[in-house]
Amino acid sequence: MPMMQTRRRILAGVSLASAAGLLRAPVSLAAEGSLETTTIRIAKVPAICVAPKYVAEELLRAEGFTDIHYVEFAAGQDTTEPLARGELDFDTNYAVNFVAAIDAGRPITLLAGVMVGCYELFAKEGIRGISDLKGKSVGMQAVNSLPHTLLTVMAAQVGLDPLKDIHWITDPKVMPIERFVAGEIDAFLAFPPEPQDLRARGIGHVLVNTALDRPWSQYFCCMHGGNREFVQKYPVATKRVLRAVLKAADMCASEPERAARRMVDGGFSPRYDYALQTLRDNAYDRWREYDPEDAIRFYALRLREAGFIKASPQKIIADSTDWRFLDELKRELKA
Amino acid sequence: MRRPLLLALALLVSPALTVAHEAQDGKRLPVIGPAPSFALTSQDGAPVTLAALRGKIVAVSFIYTQCPDICPLLIQKMVQVQGELGADFGAKIAFVSITLDPEHDTPEVLKDYAQFWGTKPEGWTFLTGSPEAVRDVTRRYAVFVAKNANGSVDHTQLTSIIDAESAMRVQYLGARFDPEEFRRDLLSLLHRP
Repeated sequence: MPMMQTRRRILAGVSLASAAGLLRAPVSLAAEGSLETTTIRIAKVPAICVAPKYVAEELLRAEGFTDIHYVEFAAGQDTTEPLARGELDFDTNYAVNFVAAIDAGRPITLLAGVMVGCYELFAKEGIRGISDLKGKSVGMQAVNSLPHTLLTVMAAQVGLDPLKDIHWITDPKVMPIERFVAGEIDAFLAFPPEPQDLRARGIGHVLVNTALDRPWSQYFCCMHGGNREFVQKYPVATKRVLRAVLKAADMCASEPERAARRMVDGGFSPRYDYALQTLRDNAYDRWREYDPEDAIRFYALRLREAGFIKASPQKIIADSTDWRFLDELKRELKA
Repeated sequence: MRRPLLLALALLVSPALTVAHEAQDGKRLPVIGPAPSFALTSQDGAPVTLAALRGKIVAVSFIYTQCPDICPLLIQKMVQVQGELGADFGAKIAFVSITLDPEHDTPEVLKDYAQFWGTKPEGWTFLTGSPEAVRDVTRRYAVFVAKNANGSVDHTQLTSIIDAESAMRVQYLGARFDPEEFRRDLLSLLHRP
C-alpha cells in the first residue's frame, strides 16, 4: 500500500511537471541581463575569409561593448596561445588550429561554427589532382603550420605518404605565394586574398576548393571560440559576442557588398574587390544548418590519423565545447 | 494492467519529450528577455509606447523611407503577412516600424509612406522621434545604424517579435525570411503563449 501511494505521488508529480512544461516556453540561459564587461579583445589577422569577426565590430558596439580591441597578428602567427593565456577574449579561427590547440591543453571553449570554405589548393598547370603532388614541391612557411597540417591531411586522404611523397619547401621569411608566382614551387595552400589575387593574375589553377569540394565543403572551416575562463565568468557578454558574430555572418551572406565595404572602411582589407570576391566565394550562411560537432569530429579524426594530435574527438568535444549559446541563438535569431 | 497505462501516459506528457518536440517543430518560441521599451511619435503625431501595446503581439522593425533596397523588401513581406492575419491584425497583433532617419522621416513623411505601401493604420504604426530618442531605441535593440554622406543609412535589418507580456521572443535578421514562418510565429504567441 505505501508503495502504491508512492507510485501515485511520483506519477502525479510527473504529470504536474509535464503540464508545467507544456505551459512554459524555454527561457534563455543568458537572458538579456547586464553585460559583465564592456571590453572585448579579438584577433586581427591578414586572412579576410574570417570576415564575420571584422564585420561584427559595429554590431558589437550595438550590443553594448564600448572598448573593442582588434589585436594585430602577422600572417601565420598562432592566435590560440594568446587566446588561451587570456590576452584575447575571442577569436574566429580555423577548426584545425583550434583542435590542435585544445589537444595541446590550451583552455579554449568552442562556441559555434561560423563559415565553410576559406582555403584553396593552387597548383601549376599539368597537376590535375592531389595524387599528382607525388614528387612535387609544395610551399609552406613552417612545419606544423596550418597549410602544412591541412595539406598533410589532404594528401593522406588520397593515399599519399605526405612525409615521403611530397617535397616540402619551408621558408618562414618568404610567403609561398611569392615562390609560386616565381615558379619555384608546384603547389601551395592559398588563403584569401591569395586565391583572388592569383585568379586576377591568371596564375595557376585550383585543385581543391574547400567551399565547393567534398568532404571539406561539408564541414565548417572556421569556428568561433573563447578563452575558457571568460566564457564561464561572463555568459551574457559571451552570448552577445556570439550573436554579433553570427549576425555578421548572415550579413556577409545576404549583403556581401555592404560587408565588404565595412571591411575596407574598418581597415581589415585594403581591397574592396578582393573582400567582395572572398565573401561571395565562401559560405557564410551555414551556421544554423551545419553541426559544429561534426567539424570537430572530422578534423580531430583526420589530425589524429596523421599523427598531429593525441586526444580523441569525444574528449575534445566533451572538454572544450559549449553549444548552449549557439542553440539559443538558433531559436532566437531567424533569417 | 493499470501500471503500463499510467506509465505510458506519464511518458507521453513528460517535459523532456515536450521540449524535444518543441525544439523540432519550433512552435514554442523562447523567452529572450524583457523587450526594450520605447516612447516615440506615430505617423499621426500621437505618442506611442511599448507599454501601451501590452496585451498585443508586436512586431518591431526598423526602416527608413528613403531606403532603396532592403526596407522595401521587408515592408512588402510584412504587407503580405498583414493581409493573412485577418481580424487578428490590429485587434491582437500590431506592427511597429521605427525610422532610422528621424531627421528626414517626420510624421507626415511616414504617413505618406504608410499609405503608399497600403499598410492598415489600425494595426501598423510608423514611429519617429528626436534623433536622440531613436538612437536610444536602436541601441537597446542592438541595431547597428550609420548614416552615410549620401544620406543612405547602413543598418541591421532586424525585426523583433514581442509577446503580450512585453517579452522578446524571436528576432528575424534581414528580409529574406519566410513570411509564412513569421506569420506562424505571431499566431503561435496568440494560441500558445
